[in-house]
Parts: sequence; C-alpha cells; structure tokens
Amino acid sequence: MIRYPNIKIAKGKTTFIHGPSGCGKSTLLKLINGTTSPDSGEIFYKGNNIENIDTIDLRREILLVAQSVFLFTGTIEENFKKYYEYRDHDAPSKEEMEKFLKICSAEFPLETRCETMSGGERQRVYIAIFLSFMPDVLMLDEPTSALDNTSSDIMMSNIKNFSKDNEMTTIVVSHYLTLAEKYGDEIIALERSKQ
Amino acid sequence: MREIASISIIQFSIVYILLLVVLAVMKKAKINQTKLLFVASVRLTLQLTLAGFILTYIFENPHPIFILMYLTSMILFAIHRVLSKNKCMNRGFKIAVSLSLACSGLGIVIFFVTAVVGQSIFDPQYVIPLSGMIIGNAMTGVNLATKTFCESLSEKRQQMESLLNLGVTPQKILLPMVNQALETAMLPTLNSMLGMGIVSLPGMMTGQILSGTLPTTAILYQISIMIAICAVVCLSVFGSLYFGYKTLYNSRNQLFYL
Repeated sequence: MIRYPNIKIAKGKTTFIHGPSGCGKSTLLKLINGTTSPDSGEIFYKGNNIENIDTIDLRREILLVAQSVFLFTGTIEENFKKYYEYRDHDAPSKEEMEKFLKICSAEFPLETRCETMSGGERQRVYIAIFLSFMPDVLMLDEPTSALDNTSSDIMMSNIKNFSKDNEMTTIVVSHYLTLAEKYGDEIIALERSKQ
Repeated sequence: MREIASISIIQFSIVYILLLVVLAVMKKAKINQTKLLFVASVRLTLQLTLAGFILTYIFENPHPIFILMYLTSMILFAIHRVLSKNKCMNRGFKIAVSLSLACSGLGIVIFFVTAVVGQSIFDPQYVIPLSGMIIGNAMTGVNLATKTFCESLSEKRQQMESLLNLGVTPQKILLPMVNQALETAMLPTLNSMLGMGIVSLPGMMTGQILSGTLPTTAILYQISIMIAICAVVCLSVFGSLYFGYKTLYNSRNQLFYL
C-alpha cells in the first residue's frame, strides 16, 4: 500500500519527483495517466477528476515515457513511423525527427538500426520519439538512468528549455537529487510510506 | 472391393517387435526415454482396448444418452487439456475458450453428420468417429493458439506498456497478437490440406479403404472432413481469442497483464 501526500503540479513548470526506491514514484506517474487506478483518493487534471476523462485522450495529453525503453526492430526513422502509425498520425518530416533527436542529445543518422545501439542511445531515441508528439504534459520516468553525466545534462537542459518555450508541463521522476536541484522548478520529495 | 482381413491375436502381437527396434535405436542414440516408450505403448494398448469395448457396446446398444455422454466427455476433456496446458489465462478467458470449443465443436459435428453425411445425430457409427476428429483438431488448434498468444503477451510487455502510455487503445495493441496466434493455429491444418493425397493418404481414408469402401467414396468423406476440420479450427480459435482478449482490459483501458 502506497500513501501519497496531497500533491500539486504547476502548469508549464518542470517538476521533479524525488524519493527512495519503493516510495511509489513510478506508480504516481501511472496513476496520473490512468494506466492504473488508485484504491482511494482523487486526481484532478485541469480541474476535472481524471476518472471522468476518457483514458485514451488523457494519455495522449499526459504522455508517460516509461523507464523500460521499447523500440521496434528497424531504423530510427522506421521507429518514428511505427509509433505514429499506432497513433493514426502521419509521421513527422525527417527534419522534425532530427530536431527532436537533437533535443534529446541523440544526433544519430535516421538510418541507424536501433538494435545496434547502446542502452543509453536507445533511451534518448525513445524519449525523442515521445517528445515529438508534443503533449501538454510530459512525464519522464528516470530518463537519465542509462546516460552518462554529460548526455544527461545536455538532454535535461534541452528538454527544460523546449518545455518552457512550448508551455509544456514536465514531470520528471529521478533519484538523482543533483539533477532535480539543477533542472527542477519544483521538487516534490516522496517518502516510503509506513504500513 | 474385398472385406477387411481380420487380425488374429498372435498376428497382432508380432507388431510389438517393432517396438524393440525403436528401443534399440533409442539405446544406440542414448535417448533416455525408455520408460516413456514403455508407458506410452502400454497406455496406447489399454486405452484403445477399453475404447474398443465401449464402442462395441454402444454400437450394439445405440441410445441417444450414450452419444450425449460421449460428446460431453469428449468436449470436457478437450477443454481440460487446453486449460491445463495454458496457465496464463484469467477466468474470463477460460470461459471464452470453453464456450468457443464447445459451441464450434458441437455445431460443426451436428452440421457435418446431419447435413453433409445425412445421418441422424444419434447414430454412433458416424457421430463417434467424426466428432473425435473434429473436436480433437479443434482442441489442438485452440491449444496452439492460446500458447502462442500467451507467449506473445509475456514477450511484448514492454511494447504493450509503451503503446498504452502513448494513448493507443488496448484493442489496437492486442489485435495484431490475436491475428498472429490465429494464423499460427491455422497453418498446420492448411499445410496438411496442401499435402493431402500426395504426401500421405489420410487416416480416415486409409481406414475406409482397408474396410472395403470404394476409394471414390472415401475421397468424398476425406475432402469433406478436412474442410470441416479447417472450419472448426478457425471458428474455435477465433472465438477463443476474440472473446478472450477482451477480458484482458477494463473500461478504463487498463491492461491486466502489465
């Protein structure tokens, strides 16, 4: 059983959720995008209880980039196209794809096959694809878990600037406090709830 | 055509010599399955002897209640085999599999015996062998389909989670896996139809020819039973998976397997 305090996420800001393993950081993100439901309590988005919002619409507005990266077998370009096909959208232009890859510090040729990439490279490509959908709220679950410090800094700085320019709300779950202090407009510290 | 030659017990027992050949090959190849060969041979002999006695009794004393009991136990056994082999299914999925097997199996048996063969559904000479072939193949098909689908579910967890987070509906995520499992289950039947008559003479046709039926009649039976098998595999697998996959998510589009 995980108990959360009352939490408010500020619109258009970058909010970091920080806390020890097992305190429910990732579960909180799943509760917010409706892929799991709370036993009790309520979650409001733009003043509406999320239980009253269509879950598919909700997940398209509040996009969760999970910690476990999944890329289809194929090139980076094919992955963009495949994800957009699932969303019934036309894939972005090559220039657009390259723009989002650059934001995520993943400037690899679009022809690069994803199965040949390292864990960190795959993570950045994955985030770039999700970011390209331009959601109202972007939730990143441990986005730098497979990245070195330099790549983490470049990516987080770029995502923060991009979010600010596009009035995108960003929620980042991370157990790196230094990252949270450096890039978070707000930090929410969770504690492991007592049984 | 001549009538089939009856085999005496002594002649029959000669066939077990072939098992000694199998045993010798297994020993030479260091296949440590001697016990399995022994158990399988004993079970084959006992089960078929018992079935022979039961069928003889039913043929001599035909009664609808025997047919109903035979069909019911056959369907229950088929359902039990599929459910016990595939542990990943939830309760709703199990119900979908059971109903699909029972309805499509019974439906095709009734259609085949009454409409195609033109006999009474309570005539044991037709219902028992034909329902065995039809329901047995349905069981194999559903077994293969559910196994493929369950493996696909566990292999594609990350893909499912990613797509769900992206706002893709569970139907759109799961349907390709359903279709793939349906195709996998249908392929053995379709392949056997392709090779039939060239690669092998099928069991039922062989049996009919041995017992003195004209090959032209046996062919008609074989073609129609193969089409019936193809239909029952398709219907039972389709029903199991299409009704079954809907039990894997709720009205909030949350997947239960994540």
